Amino acid sequence: MSARSRRIRRGALLAGFFGTLILLVGVVLSSYVQSGDSQLSAYDDDWNDISAFRRDVNDMGIQTRSVVSSPLLLKEIDDPGNATFVISGVEKDAFSMPHFGESGFIEFDEPDGYSTAEIEAIVDFYKANGTVIVMDDFGFSSGLAEAFGWQFNGNQLYDSLYAPTLNSSFVWTCLQIEPCGMSNLTVDPATHKSHPLWDGAHPCALAASESIVSEEDAGLCAHHLEGGMISYNSTYQILMNGPTILENATKSSKLGVSQAIASTSRDASIDVNGDGEVMVGQEQNEETPDRAASIEGNFVVAVEICESRCESSGENMEGRVIFVADGSVLSNAMYDYEGYNSGEYTDGTPAVEMPANDNRKWALDVIALALLTDTNGSLEPNENALVIFDESRHSQNAFLGESYNMIYWILVYFTSESMAMLVLFVALFIAFEAVVIKKKDPEPWRHVFSIIYYGFGDARRYGYYAKSNKIKQVFLSRVRNNNALTREEFDAMPATELQQMIEDPVLVKFVFENRDYSLEQLVTIVKRIKVWGKT
Amino acid sequence: MWTRKASFTFVGGIALLLVGMMISNHQLMIFGLSLIAFITVNSWLAGHGDVEVSRTLSADNLYKGDDLYVELVVTNRSLRRTQMLEVYDNIPHEMKLRTGLNSMRLNLGPGETARIRYSIRCPLRGHFSLGPVSLRFRNTFNLFMEEMYIPHHSDMIIFPQVTDIEEAYIKSRTPKMYTGATTLKNSGPGTEFYALREYVPGDPFKMINWKASAKTGDGTLIVNDTCRDAVTDVYILLDSRDVSRIGTVLKNPLENNTIAAASLASFFLKRRDSVAMAIYDEKLSYLQPDTGDKQYFKILSSLAGVAPKGNMPLQAVTNSLAPRFSRGSPVFILSSAEGDGTAPHAIRDLVGRGHEVVLLSPSSVDFERLVSRIPRMSYEVLKIERQNRMTALAGFGATVIDWMPDMELSQAMLQARGY
Repeated sequence: MSARSRRIRRGALLAGFFGTLILLVGVVLSSYVQSGDSQLSAYDDDWNDISAFRRDVNDMGIQTRSVVSSPLLLKEIDDPGNATFVISGVEKDAFSMPHFGESGFIEFDEPDGYSTAEIEAIVDFYKANGTVIVMDDFGFSSGLAEAFGWQFNGNQLYDSLYAPTLNSSFVWTCLQIEPCGMSNLTVDPATHKSHPLWDGAHPCALAASESIVSEEDAGLCAHHLEGGMISYNSTYQILMNGPTILENATKSSKLGVSQAIASTSRDASIDVNGDGEVMVGQEQNEETPDRAASIEGNFVVAVEICESRCESSGENMEGRVIFVADGSVLSNAMYDYEGYNSGEYTDGTPAVEMPANDNRKWALDVIALALLTDTNGSLEPNENALVIFDESRHSQNAFLGESYNMIYWILVYFTSESMAMLVLFVALFIAFEAVVIKKKDPEPWRHVFSIIYYGFGDARRYGYYAKSNKIKQVFLSRVRNNNALTREEFDAMPATELQQMIEDPVLVKFVFENRDYSLEQLVTIVKRIKVWGKT
Repeated sequence: MWTRKASFTFVGGIALLLVGMMISNHQLMIFGLSLIAFITVNSWLAGHGDVEVSRTLSADNLYKGDDLYVELVVTNRSLRRTQMLEVYDNIPHEMKLRTGLNSMRLNLGPGETARIRYSIRCPLRGHFSLGPVSLRFRNTFNLFMEEMYIPHHSDMIIFPQVTDIEEAYIKSRTPKMYTGATTLKNSGPGTEFYALREYVPGDPFKMINWKASAKTGDGTLIVNDTCRDAVTDVYILLDSRDVSRIGTVLKNPLENNTIAAASLASFFLKRRDSVAMAIYDEKLSYLQPDTGDKQYFKILSSLAGVAPKGNMPLQAVTNSLAPRFSRGSPVFILSSAEGDGTAPHAIRDLVGRGHEVVLLSPSSVDFERLVSRIPRMSYEVLKIERQNRMTALAGFGATVIDWMPDMELSQAMLQARGY
């Protein structure tokens, strides 16, 4: 093959290789370049995002941060007791490797949504007195919930306690032990009761008797400020959009005590098969696949978990996790219903108004409860107060945002998770080895004089030339040449004449006797042949 | 291209950064980032090989064993410094560096020039080429390096050695054949006086015999007419078959044959004889008989490129060329006469056509002995067989010279008297 065709072939192979590589990388990256509509993001201003909540938090003088890579970064929080981690909808599952289990062996089963290491990071944050709010419905939060002994059902909840001006997906619930009732297409205020855990213990409740001059002095309880006084009321009428329910997980948890803080009415049901119709019976079968609260008891839609007791607040505040079975409970449309109704989040005024609700009040009270811990009675947030929004499980609108998140996630994952760190160590070791073994600096140029070339003869013939027959043939040729005879003349010559020509009796005997000769004898004969004819 | 140092630094930087992240150690992370930044910044500060190169040789054509002086001029045509620039002039590995070095490390400023001078000895004949010029430039910290070539070549021919041959050594039994320019008794261009004649337009003035012209008394110009010089055609048949490679690279039958051919051609061409040469290996190459320096250059160039290959029999050569040979002209056959059963018949045919045939035969058995351990008895039998062959060839009328490896050509030619 000529050098030119080799070059062409090599070029084609290289082009093919890099073309395939670019195609593969492109296919992978393209899914991260621009994904579908994002929602529940603290940094977008659509009706289904939660930017209004973030703005309120910021306005209260609290720092807000987002985690776009992985909750593993919660380990880096200096003061978890003054931080709140908000998970609003877990839209994506994430890649995770097998991990080291509690027994020390490698475990291959990984929960959905968050990896084991990420859940551990969240649990550690909770144990360090951090507050976690998890709002999800059909997403991937069950892995996290199971760590605390709960799980998201994942089927849509329908209840007679719904907002009839909207549709049956918008369900009302009250944060109280007994579910509230309905009256004239809305929640009956007569059935309102106080929050089962916060009543009397909430920092805003403790400050209720104090005289507050300005909104600034009201600090994190400013939303309760009425006529120069904080009028804290622990009743919460929460509006949810397409919620599911929370159920006890198959494995119990020892991470704290948990209490359901909100439940459905007895008329609630779950659309198990997702056909939009609710068919219930005493037994769950093909004809009546759905579930009803009237048979199973009230469904739980919100749970609060604390390390020992959730009634503590202020300096005695412990880690707290609140699960709400609706990811959109803080969405701008419901959280800031006034703004929504005025068309702030939509193109024009919406056709149907969002009913008034206590979603904002509840969310800000959670923040106040979580962050008013070591303020010495002040309602101002601590300077370390921090609210962190988990954006790592949301689709990103920004160009290449997903790719950026992916790369950032890889970086955080491989420097925080034990198995990934082990893999990374091995990879670094291999990289070093590869550099040591493969990376060679080119040799210094120097001229090497080299003309070592030999043309060898045919060594196989040496043995042949030591045989008596060959020696005899060579000798007879010498005799013929010396006597200027042709081959024919020589062949026709009588033996006696040849003997006379040779003269030497030893050589005559050598020519005419066929027998084996020893090496010494052949040497003697060759010596005689050499001198033959020269005298 | 990254150097090993840069690769280590970069991988180390990444490792420190990641390990720093793992153990939340900011100092390690900053150190790792510094290393990565150092590599990144250095990657922008690479040197360059934008230089102009020219090479001057002391000669384009040399004889085997001569020294060649080379000067390489490197000029930085760029507006930037070259930083660490390594220049290496590629020379064939068959050439030996005598003085100086064919490489240099430079750091040339804009417009600066550097000269690299060195000399090489050329122990092998052949067609060679110096170049290309290899450049390797690095940045100051030796972190990044690039290599490139400047395709600047200088071709040259190394002719075989030419040794002096004394005239007496190659006199044969028919001396007139070897007297070079022989006078024929005809008028024509030459050196020997032939007769006086009247001047005719076109005659050179230097031919006018002024005394003879004066004696005519009538102003008639008389010129010296000369005998026409005739030249003898000499034919050289060079055996370049594969069998002629036996021996070392410097001592083998083919090398000896090329030396003999060059020396014979030089000798005869200096005597203004006409020399033809045929080289036979896998094919036959034939240079028509001619005289002068041009023919000498042609012969030497042909000999420079000769390589052992093929197995063309001598009789095929003589059958093809003998009809073109001038009658009675001498034919030199330079061959080890190994592995060619047609040699006796070819020589017989040439002798029969009236040519004086000289067979100069390097002893291939003795060349083989330089590289192979031939058992003593086998060697003696091989030698006897070779002597038989030489005797037979001499018997067909050729003058046979058995040329031993350690023997000079002039010494070998002395043996011609013995046959």
